This record gives sequence, structure tokens and C-alpha cells, in this order.
Amino acid sequence: MNRMSANLAWRLFRHEAKRGELTIILFAIMLSVAAVFSLSMFSERLQSALTAQTAAFIAADRVLDARHPVDDAWLREARQRGINTAHQVYTRSMVFAGDNMQLVSLRAPDNAYPLKGQVKVAAQPFEPGVTTEALPGPKEAWIESRLFQLMGLSIGDVLEVGTQSFQVTKVLSEVPDAGFSLFGGDPKVMIPRADLEATGVIGPGARVTYSYYFTGDSDDLDAYYEWLRPKLDREIHRWMSVEDDDSPLGRSVGRAEQYFLLASLLAIVLAAVSIAVAAQRYSQRHYDPVAIMKTLGASRGMVQRVYLLQITLITALGLLLGGLAGYLIQQGVIWAIADSVPVDLSAWHWRPLWIALFTGVICAVLFSLYPLLKLFSISPLRVLRRDMGATVSARFIQFLAAGSAILILMWAYSQNLRLSLILFLSGIVLVALLLLVTFGLIAVGRRLGQGKIGAWQLAWARIKRRAMDNSVQLISFSVTIMLLLVVLVMRNDMIQQWRDQLPQGTPNYFMINITDAQLPTLEQHFAAQNVSLDTFYPVVRARFVAINGEQVRTDVRKEGEEENQRGRDGLGREANLTWSDTLQYENRITQGVWWSERPDDAPSGVSVEARAAERMDIKLGDVLTFNVGSEVVDVTVSSIREVNWQTMQPNFFFVLEPQAMADFLPTYMTSFHLPSDRKPQITELMRPFGNVTLFDVDARINQLRNIVDQVSMAVEFILVLVLAAGSLVLIAQVQASMDERQQELAILRTLGAKGGLIRGSVLVEFLIIGAVAGLMAALANELTLYLLQTQIFQMAGSVHWQYWLVAPLVGAGVVGLLGAAGCWRLLTLNTSTLLRKMV
Amino acid sequence: MSQSPEYVIKTRDVTKVVDTTEGELQILQPISIDVNPGETVAIVGASGSGKSTLLSLLAGLDEVSSGEIFLDGAPLHSLDEEGRAQVRGEKVGFIFQSFMLVQSLTALENIMLPAEIAGLEAPRERALEALQQVGLEHRGGHYPNQLSGGEQQRVAIARAFITQPRILFADEPTGNLDASNSDKVEKLLFDLNRESDTTLILVTHDPSLAQKCDRQLQMQAGVLTEINGQKAPQREAS
Ligand SMILES: Nc1ncnc2c1ncn2[C@@H]1O[C@H](COP(=O)(O)OP(=O)(O)O)[C@@H](O)[C@H]1O
Ligand SMILES: [Mg+2]
Repeated sequence: MNRMSANLAWRLFRHEAKRGELTIILFAIMLSVAAVFSLSMFSERLQSALTAQTAAFIAADRVLDARHPVDDAWLREARQRGINTAHQVYTRSMVFAGDNMQLVSLRAPDNAYPLKGQVKVAAQPFEPGVTTEALPGPKEAWIESRLFQLMGLSIGDVLEVGTQSFQVTKVLSEVPDAGFSLFGGDPKVMIPRADLEATGVIGPGARVTYSYYFTGDSDDLDAYYEWLRPKLDREIHRWMSVEDDDSPLGRSVGRAEQYFLLASLLAIVLAAVSIAVAAQRYSQRHYDPVAIMKTLGASRGMVQRVYLLQITLITALGLLLGGLAGYLIQQGVIWAIADSVPVDLSAWHWRPLWIALFTGVICAVLFSLYPLLKLFSISPLRVLRRDMGATVSARFIQFLAAGSAILILMWAYSQNLRLSLILFLSGIVLVALLLLVTFGLIAVGRRLGQGKIGAWQLAWARIKRRAMDNSVQLISFSVTIMLLLVVLVMRNDMIQQWRDQLPQGTPNYFMINITDAQLPTLEQHFAAQNVSLDTFYPVVRARFVAINGEQVRTDVRKEGEEENQRGRDGLGREANLTWSDTLQYENRITQGVWWSERPDDAPSGVSVEARAAERMDIKLGDVLTFNVGSEVVDVTVSSIREVNWQTMQPNFFFVLEPQAMADFLPTYMTSFHLPSDRKPQITELMRPFGNVTLFDVDARINQLRNIVDQVSMAVEFILVLVLAAGSLVLIAQVQASMDERQQELAILRTLGAKGGLIRGSVLVEFLIIGAVAGLMAALANELTLYLLQTQIFQMAGSVHWQYWLVAPLVGAGVVGLLGAAGCWRLLTLNTSTLLRKMV
Repeated sequence: MSQSPEYVIKTRDVTKVVDTTEGELQILQPISIDVNPGETVAIVGASGSGKSTLLSLLAGLDEVSSGEIFLDGAPLHSLDEEGRAQVRGEKVGFIFQSFMLVQSLTALENIMLPAEIAGLEAPRERALEALQQVGLEHRGGHYPNQLSGGEQQRVAIARAFITQPRILFADEPTGNLDASNSDKVEKLLFDLNRESDTTLILVTHDPSLAQKCDRQLQMQAGVLTEINGQKAPQREAS
């Protein structure tokens, strides 16, 4: 008896597979596995590729910063684990050239530095840099363009560092781990690590950072960190990876990673939806065979064995084919984008495969469960009473079970409960909305459906009749459309934001120390050279002394650190004060009010940047005291500002009310954009203004733009993959429902209905379903996006009215078209073939 | 219970009541009939009069609302669906108006199906033989939708006889067929029936087909009456 069930299951499977009757469910499982696998594999690989790229910005995969040299055994241990290491020492020091002296940021790397990224040098100041493999030789120093200008140096001159003399042999134009701070750093000087001790600048009392760089397999690195962690002292050591990075770059990559994750989760939901639809259809198709078998004496147990076995066979085949297809797809995509984002094709991740197979199995099992229960309950009486359906009413339990399975799958994969919950809840809201609408439609349709039988009435009648039973279908259309909308809109918003962050013409040079007297000449000179200057900001160097009369603690920063900590400029005791009548671009008052809204007799105000305020515990109404030269300036905190640090714009922690600074003579800072091909003109541009310090951030901006471009590209590809998967799901859904309609069409045909009427009614039916699904999807999309943007992507929420119109139109168009196409195919068959195709 | 029964079908006051949206509906008024082994019985009556309902009860496809049915001694009224399925598998063969072949199995496999379900030896050989008997030996590998209606019904007949059932139920077996196919199917049905000495319960609205049976019963709005007249001469002679 058992062998018999197996035989029969196998026989049915073989025949049905051959006759294309399993195509829909097989395709659904395949599609699910392929989509989840390819998407998550692709994103894991992209993610590693991006992480590898961005690793350049800390010159390694991980960095250990220490205040003292670390035990050599730590590094030996790392190397033993197959991890590459490098080392560099930072300090701030005075350097001398003739009568000139200047505080510089001194870097002394060993020969292994940098493990990631490149050092670039140039032959003359402000020339474009070229990559170098070598580092400064013994007694050589490479210095930044700015320092040549500041100290009046030329290539070949001697620079004294501590007690040693170094020959300046090259212009240091770029180091990978320079950070994104625009003006924080003193000019950089690079000398060989081996020559550092002899200079005596790292003697007792000096503030020195010893950086140790590590690269290797991320598992090895994690294991090493586990080993290392107990030995670290938080006061002395700091362990960093690029993901800890709060720079514009780290954020872009981080957001892209969230997006990839989102896409993979959506693939899981899509998978579930398509399997749910297919399983329902699969079950309906087998009502007759089950009724026949039961009539012929098959026991319930036997029917169950046959069909469970068959589902197992289908699932197994679906997993196999889906896995293969998924692998090929992502391999193909990676190959296709190789030119823009280099992804290591040999890198293999198991998790995507497991999660894909798991998704396939769990969806297949859970979504087949209810249809199968229905199938098992089919009465043999159906052989006589052809319209007899199934009699199981556990739909709610099935929804619950399937829903929780999806939630758990998403959670397991993303390890992000919040993200999973957001998607899940949006889904629930959508389903609830749809059920409401379904009932509404039935009520409306009841009125509309009366009268002469035309295409509309026929369509309405069908929708009405199917409304409850096939609400699954409407739900699946809506969910699919909604998911597509989510990935589409999310991608648009994200890419838009990246673009805004670095628009064309973003200033790539900054000038400070422009004197009041110089200002008109400088403006003229630049205008003559056809270079437009941005806003001039007055700047006065000050010392931040007290809050409400209470002394602020002295600077506790580690000096070496400041270059890696973006956005902290001026947050020592030294502060750059500026003043302005208007609020700066991309600044937003979060507490208090701008000057214009304060009473005229109020004491002079200051607006403090929000994060700085939080860090230093500054509140509205506090009185801040600054020393400017020998003068004391007291100002009252009248507003707290949020600043968008993502823009490459000068930003200030303290903006004062102009009246407070009326007595001081400021210097000015400004910025300008010079296209890369005009770079050689920079020397000439700056020649008349020897005292003005120029910051060249062109290389930084290009690096950043490059990464952002790659990330955007990656996001585009993910979008395309999701759209492709979603379209396939839609097609499969329409196909499945066409299949259901066969019988009805055949009957209508037999009764003599004209092709035009049938086509018309099917078209109208699908148009209505598509439009409703699209509208509901657009509504649910808003909710999902709002939650995603505010809770996950840390962006401002946005409303997308246009989709409220676009989604129903496109939904109706696409679903209607697919429906019409499917129907056309059916109508080309003659009636007797149709009747025979009826199962 | 399993002693050799006098009647192959015996019913006592069988009724069928169903729930509908408009309340309870009594489809069958109390019915008591006895059928002798080997007898052929035609049930005639207007569409909707309850013929198929009666057939489904007699064949154990459905539960009675009240009354008793013994099918070859088996008390169908006290068996659950599993029990009735077993009885069907052992004692009953079916032929339907819409053939009811499994679309994704070949003709041969359809015929094998009841033999396999019943766990009989050599189902394939039996099926091949049955296929020959209905004259379709060369069509065994075809799927139902590759066969004409008449051919499908012949496959169904072969399937009905393969387990050598005690009783055969046929619900309008020629209802979907044209005249010439009807004749072929009819002949086959009666020939095989005679050869294997099966009891045949045949629902039809074709008077000439009904005439060929030993007994005719008339169903009228759920009331079953014997049409008086000729009792089957063959049976009394045998
Ligand atoms: N489960 C049921 N629910 C409601 N009405 C039923 C049910 N079963 C049968 N009927 C009704 O009982 C009547 C008899 O049906 P049936 O036995 O199929 O008639 P026949 O086979 O003589 O045409 C029909 O009017 C049919 O609609
Ligand atoms: Mg009937």
C-alpha cells in the first residue's frame, strides 16, 4: 500500500511535469529560490566588494589605535592567523625650514602601509597625484602642497623634524586614511617609520598615536578581535572597522547595505506570495483526481501520502532548479557589472543559499498546507456533483501560520527585527485594507451588476463571485506591486539624496586666512580667471573658555585621532567663530529661534550645532564665554542648529549674532569649484595671495563620488533584479488565474458567447483588479516607506503623490495586458480543445 | 454480518435531507428496495428528481440522513467515509456521465488505478487485458484528452470491471455521447456485465437503455416507484 502510494505519486509527478501541469507551482518555487538566492548572494558579494573598497578609507579592514606601542606578540598572533599587518605612527609636531616653522601632522608609516587604498604623490605642489608603491626613502620627507606654500619650500629643500634633517623629495597629494575633515588637519608630512625615533619628537610627553592595520578574511579578523579584546584597555586602545564610520561615505555604504537587505527580504515575501497563489491553484487542479481516487476506494491516508510525496518531489525539483538559476543569474549580473563594481567572483557565502532553500521549503510547506488540507477533504461525491468544492475552514489559522513563518524568515535573515516588523505590519495593513475594499466592491458591484449582460456585468459578476475565495489573488497582486513600489521609490529617494550630497560643481578647494584688505582684489582676480567663489564666511579664532562662568575642561582629544574623526572641527578649546545674519544652507533650527525673531534688546546670541551642544551639555539660555585675543566675548545660546554634515560645505559649531563681533577684524574663508582639467592653473590663481591657505579636497571628493557612483550602480542592479522577479511573479499569478478561468471560458464559449464579449469581460476584470491592487499598493507603500525611511534609513520621510495615480494606472495596464494576453491564447484554442483541457 | 446475503443491495427507509440557504430540503423520501445479485436495474426520472442522489447513497459515496443500506452485507449507514471507501474499493465499480478519468494518467494507468488501490496482484497485466476487452489495446499510452468521448467511456468501463466488483453503478453513462458511441458503450457495458455476473444499477433517461434492464425504477421528486411490468425473464430462467 505504501509502495503503491509512492508509485502513484511518482507516476502523477512524472506525467504532470511532462504535461506542463506542474509548471505553475514548480515555477513559483523555482522563482522564489532563484530570486532569494540571487538577490541575497548578489548583495552579500556587493557588500563585501563595497566594504573592501571603503576599507581603503581607513587603509585596512581593521585598525587598532593605541597610545603606546603594543606588545609585539599581538602582531605575531595576527600574522599567525593569516592576517596582514602594517603600522604607522602619528603625532603633531613643529617642523622647521630656515626661519619658518609650522605645526604639522607627522606620519611615519612602515613599508607595509597602506594595506588598502593608495598613497599618491606629485612632482610639484597642486599637481594631480599619481599612485606610488614606494614610501619615502631614508631621510626623505614627502609633504603636502599646502606646506610648500605655507613654508615657502620647493622640492629638494631641507625640512627639519625634531633633531633630524629630511630632504623634501615629493609632494604628498593623497593618503587613503586622511578622513573627510575639511580643515581639521594640519598639513601632513610623511617620513619613514625607521627614521622616527632618531628625531626625538615622540619622547615623553608627546601625544602620539600608534596605529596598527589589519587585513584578512573577515572571519579571521573577527576571531582575532575576539582573541584580542580581553587584552585591550579602553583608555588606551581603540578598535575600528570601516562600518563604524560615521562619514558621508560610511553612511552611503551603510544605507546601501540596508537597501540590499530590504531587497532580499522583499524577495522572500514575493516568494511567499507566488507560492501561495500557485499552491492554491495546484490544489484546485487536483480536486478531481482526489475525488476519483477516493471513489475508487482510496483511503484518506493514501491520498495524503500520494500528495505529500508529490509536493515533496515538486519542492525538491524546484529547489534544485531554483538554486541553479539563482546562481547563474547573480553570476551573470556580477559579470555584467564587473567594469563598474569589481566583485570577487570566487567569494562564496553560504547564508544566501541556506536562506533561499529555507524560504523555498518553508513557503512550499506552509502555503501548501491549507490548500492540501482542502484537497484532502474533497468528498468523493464530487464525481457526481461536479461543483462540489472543499470543506475546510481554517483559513485564518493558515494566514497566521504563513504570516509568522514569513516574519521569522525575514528576521532570521536580516537579524533586524525592526525592519522585518515594518515590512510585516505593512503587509498586514495592506491585507486588511484589501479585505475592506473587497467587501465594498461586492456591495457596489451588486448594484452595478444588474441589467443587461455585457462585458462589464460579466466581469463584475466574476469578481463578485471570486471576491472572497480569490482574495488571495488580489492580495498577491497588491503585495507584489507594493513591493516593487517600495524598492523603486526607496532607490529614487536614496540616489537623489546621494546626488544632492555631492552635486556637480561641489567646491573642491577651500581658502582660509583671507584678510579683509585682500578681499576685493581676490574677488577680482578670481573673476578675471573665470572662477566663481562661494560665500565668504568671516572667521575669528577664539578660545572657548566657559559655560555659564564654569571653566570648560581642557582638550582631552588624542591628537592623532582628530584626523579620523570627521566633523569635530573646532571642538577643542580652539574654536572658529563666524557670524551671519542668515541661517546657512542645510542648517535647521531645532530649538530656540534665529536672531530675527529675538527681541531687539536681547543680549547677543549664539547658535550652537546640535551634536556639539549635546556633547558639551550646552542648553538654550546658557552663557558661553570666548576669548578672542585678549578680549572676552559673552554670548547667550539662543538657538540649537542641526547641520547636514553630509554636504561638503564649511560648517561651524558656533555662529554668533553679528553685533557681538562688530569690534573684531575677521579673516575670511570661502570655497570654489575648479574642474580637474584646470588643476594646473591653481598655482597661478593663488600666486598673488601668499598668506592665504588653500585646501585641496578634489581627490577626496572624487573618491567619495566614485564610491557613491558604485553604490548607486549596485542599487540600480538590485532594483532591476527585484523588478524582474516581481514581473515574473505577476505573470505567474495571471497565468495561474487564467488556468482557473479556462473552465468558465469554455462554458461561456459553448453557450455561444462571442470571443469579443469574453475578451472584453476578462480584460475589464483584470483592469479592475489591477487598478484596485495598484491603488492599495500605493497606499500601503506610503506607510511602508515612511516607516522604512524614518526607522531604518534615517532619512526624512517623504510622500509620493504621483504614485497614487501611477500605481493604479500601471497596475491596471500591466495586469490587464497580461490577462488579455492569457485570455487571447485561450480563445485561439477551439471550444472542444478547451473543454478537453478542463480538468 | 458477513454471511452470504440474500440481496446484494438492501435498503430500509433511506432518506436524504440537505441544508440549503432556504432551509432543509428533503431530496429523497423514504426508500426501501432490494436488489438481487446479478440483477440489472434502471433508474429513470426527470432531471433533478434525485436519481444521482440515490446512486451516491447506494454506492457509499454519501451518508444517508436516515434509514439503512446494506451493500453486499456491509452496513453502509453505520460506516464512516473510511469504511465506505474500503467497501467501494472491494465491491463497487463506477461509470459516470463525464467519464471521470484522471487527466494526468494514461488510459492504461487509469485502468490500473482501482486494482492498485485494492492491492491486487499484477495490476498492469489485468489492465492490459481489460483494455483489450474494450478494444483499445493500441491506445493504452494515450492521455484521456487524446481520446474521443466514446473511447474515454470505454476506458472507464474497463476501469470499472478490473477489480471484478460485485456491483456496478453507472450514472448516465451515455449522456455525453453521440448515438453510435452510445450504442458501442451500451453493448460493451451489458456484455461485460453478463460475462462477470455483476449487479448493475444504471441511471438513465434513455427509455431504450432502461428497457434492456431487468427492472425499471421511476424516480419522481424523491419518490421511488417500481414500474410494473416485465420482470426480467433471464434472471428467473437462470
Ligand atoms: N448537497 C445538496 N445541496 C442542495 N441541493 C442538493 C444537494 N444535492 C442535491 N441537491 C438537489 O437535489 C435535487 C436532486 O439532485 P440529483 O440527485 O442530482 O438529481 P438527478 O440526478 O435526478 O438529476 C436537485 O434539485 C439538486 O439540486
Ligand atoms: Mg444526475
